[in-house]
Amino acid sequence: MPIVLTQLDTNEVLRYMGCPPEKAGEALLSQVEDCARELLEVVRPRWNWRTVNLAFEEGGVRLEGGLLLPGTALKAHLAGCDRAALFCATLGAEADTLIRRTERLDMARALALDCCASAAVEAVCDQIETDLQGKFPGCFFPFRFSPGYGDLPLEIQGELLDLLDAPRRVGLCATENHLLTPRKSVTAILGVAAGEIEQIKRSCLGCPAQGSCHYRKAGGHCGIS
Amino acid sequence: MEFRELLKTPDPILLDGGMGTMLQAKGLKLGEHPELAALEHPDWLLEIHRAYAEAGTQILCANTFGANREKLRRTGKTVEEVIPPSVAIAREAAAGRALVALDLGPTGQLLEPTGTLDFETAVDIFAQQVKCAVAAGVDLVKIETMTDLQECRAALLAVKENSDLPVIVSLTYEERGRTFLGHSPACAALTLEGMGADVIGINCSLGPREMPALVEELARWTTLPISVKPNAGLPDPGGAGYDITADEFAQAMADLTQLGVKLYGGCCGTTPEYIAKLKASLAGRTIREIPRHVPAAVCSPAKVVPIDRVRVIGERINPTGKKRMKEALLRDDIDYMLLQALEQTQAGADILDVNVGLPEIDEADMMVKVVKALQGVSDVPLQLDSTRPEVLEKALRVYCGKAIVNSVNGDAETLDAILPLVKKYGAAVVGLTLDKNGIPKTALDRLDIARKIMNRALNYGIRREDVYIDCLTLTVSAEQQAASQTLEALHRVKKELGLKTVLGVSNISFGLPARPLVNQNFLMMAMTRGLDLPIINPNLDAMMAAVRCYHLLMNIDTEARAYIAAYGNASVSTSITQAPAAQTAAPAGERTLSQIVSAGLKGEAGPAARRLLETAAPMEVVDDILIPALDKVGADFEAGRVFLPQLIQAAGAAQAAFDVIRESLRPGEEAANKAPIVLATVKGDIHDIGKNIVKVLLENYGYPVIDLGKDVEPAAVVEAARKHAAPLVGLSALMTTTLNSMEDTIRQLRQAGLPCKVVVGGAVLTAAYAQKIGADFYARDAKQSVDVARQVIG
Repeated sequence: MPIVLTQLDTNEVLRYMGCPPEKAGEALLSQVEDCARELLEVVRPRWNWRTVNLAFEEGGVRLEGGLLLPGTALKAHLAGCDRAALFCATLGAEADTLIRRTERLDMARALALDCCASAAVEAVCDQIETDLQGKFPGCFFPFRFSPGYGDLPLEIQGELLDLLDAPRRVGLCATENHLLTPRKSVTAILGVAAGEIEQIKRSCLGCPAQGSCHYRKAGGHCGIS
Repeated sequence: MEFRELLKTPDPILLDGGMGTMLQAKGLKLGEHPELAALEHPDWLLEIHRAYAEAGTQILCANTFGANREKLRRTGKTVEEVIPPSVAIAREAAAGRALVALDLGPTGQLLEPTGTLDFETAVDIFAQQVKCAVAAGVDLVKIETMTDLQECRAALLAVKENSDLPVIVSLTYEERGRTFLGHSPACAALTLEGMGADVIGINCSLGPREMPALVEELARWTTLPISVKPNAGLPDPGGAGYDITADEFAQAMADLTQLGVKLYGGCCGTTPEYIAKLKASLAGRTIREIPRHVPAAVCSPAKVVPIDRVRVIGERINPTGKKRMKEALLRDDIDYMLLQALEQTQAGADILDVNVGLPEIDEADMMVKVVKALQGVSDVPLQLDSTRPEVLEKALRVYCGKAIVNSVNGDAETLDAILPLVKKYGAAVVGLTLDKNGIPKTALDRLDIARKIMNRALNYGIRREDVYIDCLTLTVSAEQQAASQTLEALHRVKKELGLKTVLGVSNISFGLPARPLVNQNFLMMAMTRGLDLPIINPNLDAMMAAVRCYHLLMNIDTEARAYIAAYGNASVSTSITQAPAAQTAAPAGERTLSQIVSAGLKGEAGPAARRLLETAAPMEVVDDILIPALDKVGADFEAGRVFLPQLIQAAGAAQAAFDVIRESLRPGEEAANKAPIVLATVKGDIHDIGKNIVKVLLENYGYPVIDLGKDVEPAAVVEAARKHAAPLVGLSALMTTTLNSMEDTIRQLRQAGLPCKVVVGGAVLTAAYAQKIGADFYARDAKQSVDVARQVIG
């Protein structure tokens, strides 16, 4: 299913920018809205997915096809799931180019665009998650989990992308250092459980604002997810 | 029959079908590496190839699509272990019935600027495969499923530099007619034919029904045979299925014979059955030679600029007579050049000239940096401007698209040094009508030199459409009769040689008052005599107005659309404006500069500073107004009264004021500048927006910043710190995985014995960690970076 984004949550964008929405003046708000429009006009979200069976082992979770996703965090997270939907999503190189160009002209605008792009890729993933959940009627799902969350290392990105045929299907690759390119992209594992599982909030784990979040620094939470 | 002879026959050529999907059907499991099939499942591979050969395939692609060292790294096998048996199995299956091609797929990593893979590394990866395949004895090379024209170029160069093999180059496009990276068939065709491909094509991604529009676009921009190898229809996301049967496929493909497609095959989802049916549907058809003429044009990977009307070449990226540009070159300030590029493009430049020649710098190195950076932010084709062949070659290698080389002249030595490069990299070339004896006085003598340049270029295999002649503008205040000779020569080159013409215009008025008047009128005269490519400053509206008026009056600008778009809302004025930014500046109401900075009103800051400068000295405005205003915003930021967006907006407004103030500084006043700071996002990390924000703030406070960009090698940081004698180095990293490389960079700085301090920042860093890896300071945010700079430098 093609994904089309028509709008972004400006409050979320503002939070990513490090500004509490209630403290944003009219000028900033209209800049964010304008940037959201500009970004959504140029990006072309693409995605791909596949189902894999899961096997739980001492060192982590082994995917059908042999890839071991190491660590304890994902293993605990997928408890009760015997399958998973793997997916990848990208906004495409256009987002990177737009941000790179804008950085030379107007840094404030570039920051807004960058945060719009982070919000957009999250929104794309939300849509994918909903779409995928619909393909497994009667099943239960923990939230989507990505490399870099908890102790799940980024080193598995390349192999996840291979499993999804991502370079060919959606133009998404990993660098030598396991970072996704184009930058505004995600790989994720959505567990699928036949029976009911404990529902855990996604919290700050995968938030693009993680490191620089004012709420977190103050020991709080923004309330988004 | 050899491949190049096969191309000369009137018959369609039959390629093979899918390999990956066939291996899966044989039982290849999820997670197995298809590129190892020759080692792990040789019998399957032989059966698949044989089935294609029996179906009528004339060219079998060996199973080497992913057999490059990057993709093989995870398998523990080498290129040398995989390619020879893969080729041998294809050869065995062919049994004399078919030729065997080395199949070159993408490396699996994205090249700069979207990714981090360096162009020369990519060339080297492909070269290893080509050398190995030459030894294994392939008949040709097929580069395919490429989504990045630059990666295609790397592969094609690798083939050309390591073999004499014929080569098919094929990209994969989405339904919108572009690759994932936004590259177009037109750009691929222009670029790859220029670089010596034998066949250009389309494969994968789409089905045969989506092919006609793409084929038509290719056919407009290449004279080469075209190959088409689509999927069995469109794939179903999440599944492995494709939506077209073998019969439908064969029928849709046969329709492409009308468009003159020469080579036919299938990609994912197609099987020997598809190829057999395709053969049947093509039986008896011959491929008409459709005469094609590709017009003069240059391109970037995403934009073709046909020289079918006056096209403006922006002249601003050139240090000659430009103090600020010289400074930027000396300080490695690539951003300044990018800003010049974007301004000129917004003002209407179609092509940008790039000249970075300064005796004090390594011109080749700088040229490569600037070309890469420009192509990262702009789609505009470039004119690479240098007198030195080694600089031109380096620039041509990394330039993605079809560039213009500026320039050769009638001197045989120059022609023989530079024209082979123009040919190898498929560029267009500017020929100056001068030689060892200088610039001939008369039009006739200049025409002779133009003819000599043209003939030499044709001898080297360069197309006539790719030779542009510059008849040279002389200063009319020194030689008043010269202008008419230039115009006459231009006219005759155009008419008698049929070549495109180029001319630097601004020189004409040197030494005269009201220069824009002379420039504008000379430009208009030159265009009416046949000038195609004026080299001008597009930021001067008088010049762009002349071009727009010319297009309007010559009925080139259909329905006056471009003219009305440019001037529909303009008040009539013949005065000359400086830069577009000045035009759009809002009137400044009652606000003071200090308030303007606090409110982050970028558009008002420049005019406000200009008003203040009427009564105050430049440094007073800086010290008494701007810096205190920035300090106040910084303090509010720390106290949580304003936030990052407002802080950056204030910095942007202050920057606009500084730009105005800088113009009024007397020479020498700037020499009192502070010591420079080197900034870099460390090796392996590509998230650099935080570092860029820090840069803006530091520049606000008057620190010259040497910005090395992202994914920077530790050695490059050391070299820059030494070269610029920087007392402070700032390093950023966003990901935990790249903190090691930050530590490594600090270690190398220390080992080099440089006296600099190091400040680090980035989302995952903490003060404790900064101390652990040997940094002198940790900056939580951009404001703290300024505090550190003040402490270290003052």
